[in-house]
Amino acid sequence: MKGNGEVPRIGVYVCDCGTNIAGKVRVAEVVEFARDLPGVVVAREYKYMCSDPGQDLIKRDIQEYNLNRIVVASCSPLLHEHTFRKATAEGGLNPYLVHHVNIREDVSWVHEDSDEATRKAKAIVHGAVLRVAWQKPLEPQSVPVRDSALVVGGGIAGISAALTLAEAGKQVYLVEREPTIGGHMAKFDKTFPTLDCAACILTPKMTAVKDHPNITLITYAEVEEVDGYVGNFKVKVRKKPRYVHEDRCVGCLECIEACVFKEPRFPNEFDLGLSKRKPVYIPFPQAVPPVVTIDPDTCLYLRFGKCKKTCVEACGDRNAIDFDMKPETLELEVGTIILATGFKTFDPTRTPKYGYGRFPEVYTSLEIERLVNSSGPTGGEVVMRNGQKPKRVGIIHCVGSRDKNTNPWCSKVCCMYSLKLAHLIHERSGAEVYNFYIDMRTPGKGYEEFYNRLAKEGVHLIRGRVAEVTDAPLHPEEEGKLIIRVEDTNIGVVRRIPVDMVVLAVGLEPQPDADEVRRLFNISCSTEGWFLERHPKLAPVETFTDGVFVAGACQGPKDIPETVAQAQAAAANALALMDKGSVEMEPNVARVNEELCSGCHICIGLCPYGAISFNEEKKVAEVNEVLCKGCGTCTAACPSGALSQNLFSDHEVFSEIMGVLL
Amino acid sequence: MEIQRTIKYEAELDRQFAYEIAQSPGAETLFECIQCGACSAACPVSIYMDLTPRRVIAMTREGFKHEVLSSLTIWLCSSCYACTVECPVGIKVTDVMYALKQRAIKEGYGPRKVLTRLLAQSFFQAVKEDGRATERKVMLRLYRRAGLDHLIRMAPLGLKLWRTGRLSAFGTERIKNPAEVRTLLECLEEQEGGKSP
Repeated sequence: MKGNGEVPRIGVYVCDCGTNIAGKVRVAEVVEFARDLPGVVVAREYKYMCSDPGQDLIKRDIQEYNLNRIVVASCSPLLHEHTFRKATAEGGLNPYLVHHVNIREDVSWVHEDSDEATRKAKAIVHGAVLRVAWQKPLEPQSVPVRDSALVVGGGIAGISAALTLAEAGKQVYLVEREPTIGGHMAKFDKTFPTLDCAACILTPKMTAVKDHPNITLITYAEVEEVDGYVGNFKVKVRKKPRYVHEDRCVGCLECIEACVFKEPRFPNEFDLGLSKRKPVYIPFPQAVPPVVTIDPDTCLYLRFGKCKKTCVEACGDRNAIDFDMKPETLELEVGTIILATGFKTFDPTRTPKYGYGRFPEVYTSLEIERLVNSSGPTGGEVVMRNGQKPKRVGIIHCVGSRDKNTNPWCSKVCCMYSLKLAHLIHERSGAEVYNFYIDMRTPGKGYEEFYNRLAKEGVHLIRGRVAEVTDAPLHPEEEGKLIIRVEDTNIGVVRRIPVDMVVLAVGLEPQPDADEVRRLFNISCSTEGWFLERHPKLAPVETFTDGVFVAGACQGPKDIPETVAQAQAAAANALALMDKGSVEMEPNVARVNEELCSGCHICIGLCPYGAISFNEEKKVAEVNEVLCKGCGTCTAACPSGALSQNLFSDHEVFSEIMGVLL
Repeated sequence: MEIQRTIKYEAELDRQFAYEIAQSPGAETLFECIQCGACSAACPVSIYMDLTPRRVIAMTREGFKHEVLSSLTIWLCSSCYACTVECPVGIKVTDVMYALKQRAIKEGYGPRKVLTRLLAQSFFQAVKEDGRATERKVMLRLYRRAGLDHLIRMAPLGLKLWRTGRLSAFGTERIKNPAEVRTLLECLEEQEGGKSP
C-alpha cells in the first residue's frame, strides 16, 4: 500500500440515509468489502452519518483506533462534506484528510437494480479508500471581505436591501438603470390586500435611500463589468449621460415648462405610453433623484444640434443642463453583491387572440395600474380612450402564464392584483366587473379574506380560460362591444360576455437581458431564465457564486411582502459575510513546483481567472491563491508537470480512477 | 319531473378507461389537463354539445366511460383543431375525440346513422376498393346509408361542384395496384379486432 509517507489507518463510514441508500444498496455488504481494503482499520454502517451520533462515531474512532484518514460514503458532498470535515477536525485530524463520496444521488437514487447499485457503491468506496491515502493536510486560505456592498436594481427589492445594509453601517452602492428608483411598485396605485397606497409607503423609502449617508445612489447606469471574488469584487458601472448635473438640478422643473416643445408629444415610458412627455422630463413627481433627464432621441439640440435651448435659459445660474455630458465609467470595490433586477411583464401581442394592439380598449394590467393611479394620465379616472366610463369590464387572468405555448409557470401575483384592479375599477367607474380565472390562487396573509370581500362586492367570478376577444357581434346587445368568449366551467356552458374594456392580467417574466446579467455576475439561472438560488428551500437568497445574493422577482415571481422579506434576508446574508470580515477559501488551489517550471508561460494565458503571473526574478510561474478557483486547467496544460492542484494531485486522481475501475 | 339518483359510485366507473385512452397518440398529456375550458370556448360547435370538450376530458380521466362514449360531443367534433391549438398543456383534444369515437364504435356505443361515422365508413370502403377516394362514389354511398333526404338537400351544392369541375360525374379514380392498399387496411382491421369504422 502506497501512501503519503505515513502508514494509512483509514476509517470507512457508509451511511444508510434511512432507506434512501439502504433501500437500494446492500450497505452491510459494502462495509464488509471496505473492511478488507488496504489500510482500512475500521468500517461501519450507520443509519444517519450526518446526525450527531454519526459524527461522534468518527470522532471516537479517530481517538480509539488512531485513524489518520476518513472516508464517508453517503449523500452529495454539496450537502455534507462540510459536516464531515468539521467532525474530522473535532476528532483531532486535519479536515482535508476526509474524503466524502456520494452513493445516494450517484447510486441509490439513479439505479433500479440492487446488485448493480451495490457493485457501484463498492467501486466508489474502493476509489475513495485508495485516494484518501494520498491526501495531505491542508490549511484553508482566509481572505478579507470588504465592508461595502453593491445592490443592482432600484425597485422595492433593491431599496429594501440597500436600506437594511446602510442601517447596519455598510457603504452601499445602489445602481439603477432607469432615471429614477422605485421600479414597478412606483407605478401602482394601491397594494393588495390592504389597499394601502403604494406611493405613500414607497416614497418615504425612496427618499430615505437618497438621504442616507451610507448609500451612494447611481441612477441611469448599468453594471458593465464584474471582476474579483467574494469579499473583493471590482465592478465597473457605466453611467449614461442624462445631460443634467444631478448635484446642480433642484427639481424646479422650469426647464420642462420652457422647452421649445410647447405641448408634451412623446410617449411617457413611465405611463406606458398612455400619457405624453417632453424631451426634458421627470418620470413622475416623486422621482428619486428628483432631477430631470433629457432624452437624446427626442431632444432637438441633441438630435440635430439646433435649438433655441430655452431650457438652458430657464435653468439660468444653476447651470444644471450640460449638453456635452458624456457616458462615465465608475469603478467600485465591494465585498458583496445583491442582485435585485426584477421582472418584466408578458407582452400580450404574443397571444393575438386577446386582441391587444388590435382593439384600443384592450389594456394590460400595468396600463390599468397607471389609469387608476391618481398621479397617472387620467388622474385616477377609469375611462376609455373616448373619455367615457366603461359600463362593463372583463379582467382576463393568466395571460401568458400557465400555458405551454408561452410561459408554463404561474405568475403568482396576478390573481391578487386582478382582484385589486376589479375593486378599484368598480370603485372608480361603477362598472360591472367580470374576472375570468382558471384557478383562484390567493394564499397569503389576508389574501383569501380579500377574495371573499371581492365576492361580496359583487364581482362576477367566472372560472374559465378565455378563448378569444372579438368585436364581431352575434346578438344586438353585443353591437359595438368587445365580446369575451369563455366556457363557464363551473356551469359547463359556453358564454359570450360583451364588455367595454378588457384588462389582460399579464404574467411575470425574467428581464429580457437576464441572461447577460447572470453571465456578468457568474451566477446560474433556471430553464425559464429566473436567477437560480443556491438551494430552493434552505438557501433561497444565496447563489452558487459566493458573495452574490439575489432578491425579489429576478429569482421568480413574487409579491411585495415576499420581495421585501427576501431583500432583507439577502442583506442579512451579505451582512453576515461582511461582519465576519473574512472568508475561508477552499484550499484546492494550484501550486507551482519551481524546480520543474520551465517558464514557458502556457499556463498564464490559459488561466480564466488571471491568477497566474510570471516571476521575472525566478523565471517561473506564480499562482495567486486568492484568485485561483481550482479549475485545474493549468495543471492539465503544464508540459513540465510543474503545476499540481491541492486535493487533485495526480496520485489522488489516478489512484481513485484505479479504485473505481475495480 | 322525475327525480333521479345522480350519485356515482366508484364501482360503476371504469378506472382503466383513462389509461387506455391516454395510450392513443396525442392523448399522452391527458392527465395534465388543468380544466381551464379553453378547448370548449374555442370550439365552434361546443354550443351544440351535450358535454363540453373540457367535461369529456375530465370524465374520461375519471373513468366515466359510459357517459363519455354515449355522448353526442364526440360525434359533433368537426376536427377543426381549434381546441388543440388553444390547449395550454398540449392535449391534442381532437385526437382524443378520435380515440373516443373509435372506442365507441368498437364497444357498440353511439348512433349508427350519425353522418361523421357513415362518412368515415364510406371513405374507408372507397379506399379499400380503389386505393383512393372518388368523391362522387363516397358521397353516393354515404347518402344511400344516411337517407335520400340528405341527398336531396345537398343536391344543389353537388350540382354546383360538378359545374365548376370539382366533382366528376363519371369514372372512378383508382391507383395502379389497389390490392396492396387493401391488404394493408385488412391487416389493420385484423389488429383492431376485425371492425371497420
